[in-house]
Amino acid sequence: MKVKVIIVLFLFASTAWLFIGAVDNGPDPYKPKYIKLDVPKGWPKPAKDIFKDNPLTEQGFQLGKKLFYDGRLSKDGNFACASCHQQFAAFATYDHDFSHGFKDQFTTRNAPGIFNLAWTPLLHWDGGINHIEVQPLAPLTAPNEMAENIDSVLKKLRKDTAYPKLFKAAFGSNLINSQRMLKALAQFTGSIVSYSSKYDKVQRGEAFFTPAEQKGYDFFKIKCAGCHTEPLFTDNSFRNNGMAINPQLKDFGRMRITTDKNDSLKFKVPSLRNITLTFPYMHDGRFYSIGQAIDHYRTGIVTTQPTLDTALKNRIAINNAEKNNLIYFLYTLTDTTLAKSNRYR
Amino acid sequence: MVARPVKILLLFIIILVCTQYSTAQRTSTLRTKTGTIKITFVHTINEAPLVLDSMEYVNPFDEPYRISKLKYYISNIAVKHLKKSFAEPESYHLIDEADAASLSFNFDAPANNYSSISFTIGVDSIKNISGAQSGALDPANGMFWTWNSGYIFFKLEGSSTSSTLINNKIEYHIGGFAAPNNALKRVTLQMPDNTLLLVQAGKTCEIIIAADINKLWQADNNLKIAETPATMTPGAVAIKIANNYSRMFTIKELLTPYSP
Ligand code: HEC
Ligand code: HEC
Repeated sequence: MKVKVIIVLFLFASTAWLFIGAVDNGPDPYKPKYIKLDVPKGWPKPAKDIFKDNPLTEQGFQLGKKLFYDGRLSKDGNFACASCHQQFAAFATYDHDFSHGFKDQFTTRNAPGIFNLAWTPLLHWDGGINHIEVQPLAPLTAPNEMAENIDSVLKKLRKDTAYPKLFKAAFGSNLINSQRMLKALAQFTGSIVSYSSKYDKVQRGEAFFTPAEQKGYDFFKIKCAGCHTEPLFTDNSFRNNGMAINPQLKDFGRMRITTDKNDSLKFKVPSLRNITLTFPYMHDGRFYSIGQAIDHYRTGIVTTQPTLDTALKNRIAINNAEKNNLIYFLYTLTDTTLAKSNRYR
Repeated sequence: MVARPVKILLLFIIILVCTQYSTAQRTSTLRTKTGTIKITFVHTINEAPLVLDSMEYVNPFDEPYRISKLKYYISNIAVKHLKKSFAEPESYHLIDEADAASLSFNFDAPANNYSSISFTIGVDSIKNISGAQSGALDPANGMFWTWNSGYIFFKLEGSSTSSTLINNKIEYHIGGFAAPNNALKRVTLQMPDNTLLLVQAGKTCEIIIAADINKLWQADNNLKIAETPATMTPGAVAIKIANNYSRMFTIKELLTPYSP
């Protein structure tokens, strides 16, 4: 009898001790809800896993979203990421060749839409940014964009009543540092996936192209898909599509990054998804309509540039009917679900 | 036959003893077999210690200059003797002349004698392409290019009346990890006078490394302030300067092991 009591007491004490040990290590309420990147059926796997060292969680995504919409990331409070990347424009700047930044200054390039970045190995028109996590440093510190510095942004976030809790929910403690802020932003921007356009529905057998759209698609596959490759509508390469250099901007594109003169005037092939929402077009927003962009390929290409892509040496023959069909087809790449989804606002 | 509760009790005790024993083992092996290496960097110009802002110096081309900022990365440190070598794990250190605490740091290494130490000036390519980092590599340290992702390996700023730039500025921001603009430099220094670095268990030994800043202007290449008052991008000029500054380090002194 006595032995039994001792044993029971001992077991009780040791379990309690184990428990207290566990309490010491902090059974904090860190219960992140892990989520998965949406990889649409039939798409290639992302070339590199942008979330390898940044596990996607609902809490991280929500924190990233809040940061994306928060003007305090900019010096004067006016220029959130979202001020230039507007959801209704597929996260491009609607109807602007250049976007507004700090003190009435403009960006020097056209703001691209933000989607399918998990399939985009190098960011920005010249591919200068090699990882999605470090991308926000560029607009954040550029004097003509958000004009801030990291320490000052972090100070503002630490003083806020909500952020420490949100950082804790996302990362396990309320430490606020640049790494966590950047990882959270990457969780938001990196999980925006656009795959609900009419084109996608046709691919999935849920809708049909009209005859004009189908003709446009057939033409596109022959003349454009070499660079604007399905299903992302870009092959992520850098190419010169023969636009005359803008003498004021003197933007040589990829050459600034690689210092290789063979890269002069090469820019990233942009995705044509959501093209109706992201006008104006090209790295400097010089064309306001899809028609003008197509006319560039028929008649505008400057064929004397040494780095002009060989596929465009003779321009592209496109008659008016083909042009119209092409436009009808490009309209089918608009993803209104993305532009309206509550998930992203 | 032993009663069941007694069995459980025994099991408990065995588990407890085992876990206690193994943790004790682990810490004790660590304690007996490693010592600490402390590395201290001192910056000199023409044998005089560097003083920021207030002191004027002259380079080998008789060009006067002042330095207001000197920061650089020392990474992937390893010590070696014959076939034995040890590399510091997660080895990234930002040296900043304006922050005295950054000029010295320690790490533990297996007790041994070492004849050389090597390190990289800069940050290896993996860390340049793997997203947001923290600690020494935090982009908030001002050593990261935002428009062309990558670390600035070495930063020297100041002024010189030989400079043609506004306010006579001089500004050298050196970096670039990808070919053909790779400016990463590996430096290996032998312990002086055939001595060995003695890493003794539980003790600290110290290496004092001197960096002669004037090598920046003249070592492998000649670099006149009048001709090159600044460079801010990876490229040929950056590589030239990196070749020069990779020659500025020497071991000034080894301090014999002492108990911390
Ligand atoms: C002042 C306007 C402005 C602000 C504010 C701004 N951006 Fe941008 N963003 C741009 C422009 C312009 C580009 C194109 C830059 C280039 O290619 O050189 C761009 C490019 C990008 C890209 C690259 C997309 C691609 O496919 O290459 C991402 C991602 C992005 N921004 C995210 C953000 C985030 C996150 C923030 C907030 C931290 C932000 N932006 C703030 C204007 C802005
Ligand atoms: C040789 C590769 C190549 C081919 C072929 C090509 N493009 Fe492009 N396209 C590009 C590049 C590169 C850009 C970005 C150029 C820039 O901004 O400087 C671009 C940009 C565009 C844009 C602007 C997108 C935006 O968001 O700004 C449109 C629209 C476009 N192309 C349509 C087409 C159509 C339609 C075809 C077929 C008739 C076609 N492209 C064929 C390389 C190509």
